[in-house]
Amino acid sequence: MADIIEMDRIVKIFPPSLVALDAVSVKFSKGEIHAIVGENGAGKSTLMKILYGMQPADSGEMLYNGKKVKFADPGEAILAGIGMVHQEIMLIPQYTVWENVVLGYEPVKFGGRLDVKKARELVKQKIDEFGFNLNPDAKVEDISVAARQKVEILKLLFRNVSVLIMDEPTSVLTPQEIPQLFGELKRLRDNGHTILFISHHLEEVLELSDRITVLRKGKKVGTIKTAEATKAGLAQMMVGREVIFDSIRKNQTAGEVLFETSALNYTDPDKRPRLIDVNIQVRAGEIVGVAGVEGNGQLELVNLIMGLIEPTGGSIKAVGEDITRKPILEKRKRVAFVPQDRANMGASIAANIAENVIMTHHRLDKRFTRWAGRILDFKQAYSFTDEIRKKFDVQMSSGEAVFKSLSGGNQQKVILGRELLLEAPFILLDQPTRGLDVGSIEYVHQRIIEMRAQKRGILMISADLEELFRLTDRIVVMHKGRVVADLVTEKTNVTEVGYLMLEGAAYEA
Amino acid sequence: MKRKILVNVVGVLLAFLLGAVVMLVQGYNPLETYYRLFEYSLAPGKIAYTLSKSVPLVLTGMSASVAFASGPINLGQPGQLLMGALLATIGGLYIDLPPLLMIPFLLILAMLGGALWSGVAALLKYWFNMSEFITTLMLNMIADFFTYWAINYPFFEKNANHPQTPFIAKSGWMPEWGNFNSSVIVMVLAFAVIWFIVNRSTAGYEWRLSGQNSLFSRLGGVNISKNYLVVMLLTGALAGLAGGLVVMAGPHRFIKDIGGNYAWDGVMIAMVANSGIILTLVFGFFFSVLQTGSLGMELITAVPKELIQVLQAVIVLIVVAGRGYFETFFAKLEARRKMRERIA
Repeated sequence: MADIIEMDRIVKIFPPSLVALDAVSVKFSKGEIHAIVGENGAGKSTLMKILYGMQPADSGEMLYNGKKVKFADPGEAILAGIGMVHQEIMLIPQYTVWENVVLGYEPVKFGGRLDVKKARELVKQKIDEFGFNLNPDAKVEDISVAARQKVEILKLLFRNVSVLIMDEPTSVLTPQEIPQLFGELKRLRDNGHTILFISHHLEEVLELSDRITVLRKGKKVGTIKTAEATKAGLAQMMVGREVIFDSIRKNQTAGEVLFETSALNYTDPDKRPRLIDVNIQVRAGEIVGVAGVEGNGQLELVNLIMGLIEPTGGSIKAVGEDITRKPILEKRKRVAFVPQDRANMGASIAANIAENVIMTHHRLDKRFTRWAGRILDFKQAYSFTDEIRKKFDVQMSSGEAVFKSLSGGNQQKVILGRELLLEAPFILLDQPTRGLDVGSIEYVHQRIIEMRAQKRGILMISADLEELFRLTDRIVVMHKGRVVADLVTEKTNVTEVGYLMLEGAAYEA
Repeated sequence: MKRKILVNVVGVLLAFLLGAVVMLVQGYNPLETYYRLFEYSLAPGKIAYTLSKSVPLVLTGMSASVAFASGPINLGQPGQLLMGALLATIGGLYIDLPPLLMIPFLLILAMLGGALWSGVAALLKYWFNMSEFITTLMLNMIADFFTYWAINYPFFEKNANHPQTPFIAKSGWMPEWGNFNSSVIVMVLAFAVIWFIVNRSTAGYEWRLSGQNSLFSRLGGVNISKNYLVVMLLTGALAGLAGGLVVMAGPHRFIKDIGGNYAWDGVMIAMVANSGIILTLVFGFFFSVLQTGSLGMELITAVPKELIQVLQAVIVLIVVAGRGYFETFFAKLEARRKMRERIA
C-alpha cells in the first residue's frame, strides 16, 4: 500500500524543557486504520496536532501524497483532506444535525442566502452513503453522545476529508456503543479513507486497527502489524516493562460498616432532583466502586459527602457518627478525600509542595503547630514532605518547589500521600487515576490495595470499568441519580455493568 | 528569587527610560531631571522626610496586599483611612492622657475606625452575599462625605475659614526628631507583625492558600468565612492606622482632603508588588522617593511634577505586564537551548 502521509523526524519542545516529540518518524498508508498508542504524555496527541496544523513542529518534515506540506492551521489541513475529531465534542447543541454539519461550509443560493433544501439534502446523502444511523433533523442536544460523535465525523466527511484523525474516540462512549463506532470506522476504511486512531486502551486497538505505532516519552518505540501484536507485548512496548492486568485483590473478609448513606436526596437550586434515595454502605477492608456514565449523580454524591452542598434529605454516617451537616474539618477527621480535579480541588498549584502537603494536617495533627496551634512549624512541614517523597516515590527537587512544577503523576502521588497519611478510616476516591499514565496508575492501584489490607473502607468513583473490576469488592451502579444496582464484583461482568450504566435497568440476557 | 528581583529592576529601569523619552520629546534634560529627583528625596538630610512620607503608602499598600493575597478584594482603603483618621481625631479632641498611653490609644482608635468600615462591607457580604469589590468602593464615597460633614458640623473648629477640626491634644502628636517622624517606627512594627502573621502563622497560611485556591482550602477544612471576616477587619485596621498616623504625624487635626491619594497609591503599590509584603515595603518607599523627589524636580528644573504620576503608572504597567512576559521569555530561552542540544 502506498504511503499517504510521511512524518519525518518531527521534534516538538514545549517551553521550557519538555521534549514532547523527539525526532519521531512515522508513515501512514492509504486505506488503513493506524492506531497510535502510548501512555499519557507519550506525545500521541501532539504528533496528531502537528499533522493537523494545530501546533507547529520545531523541526522535521511532512509529506502528504508525496508532496512536502506544512499546515498553518486546521483549516488548511481540512482543505488538503485531513480532519480530526477531538475528545471533547464541539457542536452547537441547539442546532439540528444537518445545520451542524454544513456550518461554515454552507451551500448558498444567489445573494449568499443559505440553501436550506440543498444543504439538508446533501447531508442526507452523506448519511446514506456512509450508512450512519442518524436523523438529519434531530437537534444535537437531544441525541446521545455516540450520535454526536457521528455528527463530528460526518462534518469532516462533508468536507471531503480522506484522512480522519480520531483522538480517543471511545473515552466518551459506553461499552455498548463502541462496537458500532468500530463498525463505522471499518466501513470508512474499506471506502478508502485512512484513519489514525489515538488510544491507550489496548483491547480496542487490537480489535480495530491494521497497524500500530507505539510512542513512549516522545520517542517512537516501533510500528507493528496488529495481526502480530499481543496485549502484553504492546503494554510492554508502551511502559518499557511488564504490566499485570488481572484483578489484584486478595481474599479478605470485610469488617464493620465504616461509611453509610441513608436515603440521601439532593435537589439542585433549579429544583431538579440529582440524587434520589441513595443508600451506599462501605465496610472496613472493602473497596466499593461507583460506576456510572458521568453526570448521573457522582459529582453531587462527592460534594455531599465532603460538605460542599447540603442534602435535601437523608444522612451520611462515617465511623459511627452522623456527619451530614458537620463542618468540613470535623468530617476530615474521618474522611480522606482524593478528588478527580487535582488543580482545583486537590491542591493549590501556586503554593509550594510543603504548603500543599500540610493542608488539613495543620489542623488535625499537633506536631505541625506551636503556641496552641497559632504558629506553623515549617521544619515539620518540610520533613513531612520528605516522608511523603520517600513513602510515595515522588520525583521532586525539594519541598520549596511550586506544586505545578511536578508532573501529573507526581502531583497525584503527593495528594495521595497527604490524604492517606491523614489516617482517616474512610477514604473517598474520585477518579484517582484520571489522566495518569500506566505506570502511575499501577502505583496508585497498589496503594489503594494496601489501604484495603489496612482495613480501611474505600469508596471509589471511576469512569474506568477495567479499573473498577481490577480493584473493587462491590460495584454500585448509578443512573439518573439513583443507585440501580449493588453488585458483587466477582459475580458480575463488564457487559452487565455497562448495560446498567446505560439503561438503568437490570440486564436481561 | 533572583529572577523576581530582575523583573522588578528591569521594569523600573524601562519605565525611567520611557520617562526620559517623554522628557526629551518635550525638550527637557532627563539626566538633570532624574538627578534632581533623587537628590531631593535621598540626600542625607532628606531621606528621613521621604521615609516619613512613605508611611501611609506602605500601610495602605500592605492593607491591599494582604487582602488581595488572601482573596477578599478590599478596595476600601480610602474610606477606611478616612474613618481611622476621623476616629483618632475625635479621640484626640476629647481625651488627654500621658503620651505613652495617648499614642497607643489613638492608634487603636484609628485601627478600630478602619476595621469598622471594612467590617460593614464584610457584614454586607455575610448577610446579603454582596461582593466586597462593589461595597468597599461604595463605602469610600460614604466615608468621604461623612467625614466632610463631620469636620463641617460637629467637629468644626469655630471661626475657621476652612473645613477642619481643632488640633488634637499635644500628647497625641507623633514625636519628631528633625525630619524623622516616629510614625516610621509604627510602620516598621506593623510591617514586622504583618510579615510574621502572613508567613509564619497558621492563619496566614490559610489566608494565602485560600487566596490561591479557595475550594481546595475549604475541602482541606479551612473555615473560609471566618478567615474572610478576619482579613477584612485586619486590612481595614491597617488602612485606618494609616489614617490615624496621617493626622498624628502631620497637621495634627482633620483637614479637608487629608487622605490625599495615599490609599489609591497603596492599591497601586500592592499591584506592582504582586501582593508580596516585602515588595510592598520596597515599592512603598520607592513611590515615596518619586513623590517627594518630584517637588524638588519641579523646584529646580522646569519639569512639572505631574510627570512623576506618569512615571508611577508606567512602572505599574511595565512591572505587572513584565511579570507574565518574563516567565514565557525565560521558558522560551530554555526551550531554544534544548532544541540546540537535540540537533547537535
